[in-house]
Amino acid sequence: MIATVRDDPAVVDLVERARGGDRSAWDEIVERYAPLVWSTCRRFNLTGADVDDVGACVWLRLVEGLATLREPAALPGWLATTTRRECLHLLRGKRRQVPAELQDSVDDTAPASDEWLLGQERRIALRSAFGTLSDRCRELLSMLFREPPASYAEISEAMDMPIGAIGPSRQRCLKRLRDTPEFTALLDEPPDGTDRS
Amino acid sequence: MRDADDELLTELGEAVRDAADVPARFIDAGKAAFAWRTVDEELAMLAYDSATVGADAAVVTRADPAALRALTFVSSELTVEVEVTPDALLGQLVPPQAGEVELRTRTGESHTAAVDAVGWFVLRPVPAEMFRLHVRPASGPEVLTAWVTL
Repeated sequence: MIATVRDDPAVVDLVERARGGDRSAWDEIVERYAPLVWSTCRRFNLTGADVDDVGACVWLRLVEGLATLREPAALPGWLATTTRRECLHLLRGKRRQVPAELQDSVDDTAPASDEWLLGQERRIALRSAFGTLSDRCRELLSMLFREPPASYAEISEAMDMPIGAIGPSRQRCLKRLRDTPEFTALLDEPPDGTDRS
Repeated sequence: MRDADDELLTELGEAVRDAADVPARFIDAGKAAFAWRTVDEELAMLAYDSATVGADAAVVTRADPAALRALTFVSSELTVEVEVTPDALLGQLVPPQAGEVELRTRTGESHTAAVDAVGWFVLRPVPAEMFRLHVRPASGPEVLTAWVTL
């Protein structure tokens, strides 16, 4: 269903540009996927310097792998697997326990848990889609998804917007989010299929 | 009642917070890794690793000290065979040729050993962290192996 994320043309483009030596494309790859590498380490209960160690190894392998990565679109899966291997290696080296729920993945040649990875890919796509919205939409949505959410009075003041306009703006910004190519790639059905009736 | 917009907003918040949890130094270190991009040397890929052959290989290598880890790196003109003993890396260039080989760890440590006329080299000690070998044959192109952790 959401496996189509793997065909994200943006990833292919970034990898190809980074291959050619484009540093800004590399920076974007790192920003886009650092949360995936980071969360993978956190799943193994790694913290502090251990996470930095694993991260350093993963990025070096990716720099090296750029030239030979056969399917750039499969990058998220490649990163998750590489990170997991480095985590396992570090834990083994320190003779520490692998968290019980990850015992199945001690076979470091097996692919990462698909369900978890797909959830991560969905978050990556959501962040990319969010990044394409206008400053004003991002500001509004950020105040709304904050924990705890900002009150309408607070939003009205911060954004210089009548309280009555907040609801419709929220709806409009979320629709724009749904209409982005990043978001539509997540779905089987046409975007906003349920809202158009 | 929660509608689709509420759910999307919640999910979006989680996704954005996820990214905000990642420290800037982690991202900066990732960006800096680009400086290690190799352009001039040929890359020798890891073609064989005894530790990843067989499903329980990871367990076997740790439990059975008699099983030496063996690695093979292959580039278009040169193959580098490496065997890992408790105190050294024993290497062989194929086809056999003299030169030198430098071991570089990811934190920048480096040491060099001579490769003798029949392509044999010994590197001590066994690196504890991720490393790669930079092979400089007496003639012919230089070769850099893939990164490897033992």
